[in-house]
Amino acid sequence: MTQEKKITVKKQAYLVNDEIADKIRHIMKEKDKLFFNIMGSIGAGKTLLLERIAEKLTPHYKIFVINGDVATTIDADRIAAKGATTVQINTGGGCHLSANLIQKELDKINIDDYDIFFAENVGNLICPAAWDVGAQMNIVVVSITEGEYVIKKHPIIFKGAAIAVINKCDLDGLGFDSGNLVEDAGKIKSDMRVICTSAKTSLGLESLIEALGIQLP
Amino acid sequence: MHEYSLASAIVEQVKKIALGHNASKVKTITVSADPYEMVIPDLLKEAYGIITDELELFKDSKLELLILPAEIICIDCDHKGEPSIEGDDEFAYNFKCAKCGSRDTHLNIRHLTIETVDLEIPE
Repeated sequence: MTQEKKITVKKQAYLVNDEIADKIRHIMKEKDKLFFNIMGSIGAGKTLLLERIAEKLTPHYKIFVINGDVATTIDADRIAAKGATTVQINTGGGCHLSANLIQKELDKINIDDYDIFFAENVGNLICPAAWDVGAQMNIVVVSITEGEYVIKKHPIIFKGAAIAVINKCDLDGLGFDSGNLVEDAGKIKSDMRVICTSAKTSLGLESLIEALGIQLP
Repeated sequence: MHEYSLASAIVEQVKKIALGHNASKVKTITVSADPYEMVIPDLLKEAYGIITDELELFKDSKLELLILPAEIICIDCDHKGEPSIEGDDEFAYNFKCAKCGSRDTHLNIRHLTIETVDLEIPE
């Protein structure tokens, strides 16, 4: 004999992920570390931007970068060549990083050995928005070559971001226009910082580093 | 295709609940989602089916999805609730505050939540 019972749960499906993410955020705050989650589509320039950031920061800070990609260690290798310590997570078919994946990598290191942490999320403007990785700040990178409607088409990821980076602005006027993207990013919400950059030329890099709250001596 | 990750997270939580109640079967799981959660219901159910296919505890179980009304938080007046209209022709999800009319709003996404689980428990 069996009986049927309805159990009220009222718990988020993301509960386990979010608990780990909160723990990561708490540890980073307690240890006075910075942790940023860099999101954006494939080819937006996230890796080159992180290479430029690493070049600027590594003379003064110890940087740890967790790269998320479906396959290869190309991104981690590129950023490591600029002086940061990097680790590549290959997600297989996974379209986003999660707090669990970040925690596993943090467990392998001594957090005290580093000052600033970055996660370069899997190239995707949809799925990473839903998964908290425990960062203190989410940054979304789009490039002006992705089309003038890229922000309008993917507003949700920007709703959770503190900074929108409009990259490849060195191509402004060469058949591409950053104006529409800057305007659209401004319409998403007033408290999001919008910064035009060119990872290729380092345009806007100092503004971005300042917006991250990182001081350079 | 993060529906697979979500379905997996649901199954892991429900498995613990079922074991905690000494259940022999999970019959129905009801989850709620925000309309802007970025969940495709059919894909979520398909992923759930794939994950539970060989799990005896979940054999013949159903996953039901309730879609909640949208909710915004107004940056200008702090109003929290349903937007006055669903979106903006020019700018998707740029919802208008029902109280002050501002479009400077956050979308308050209520993440996918396990509401109830119907279990079969041996007497």
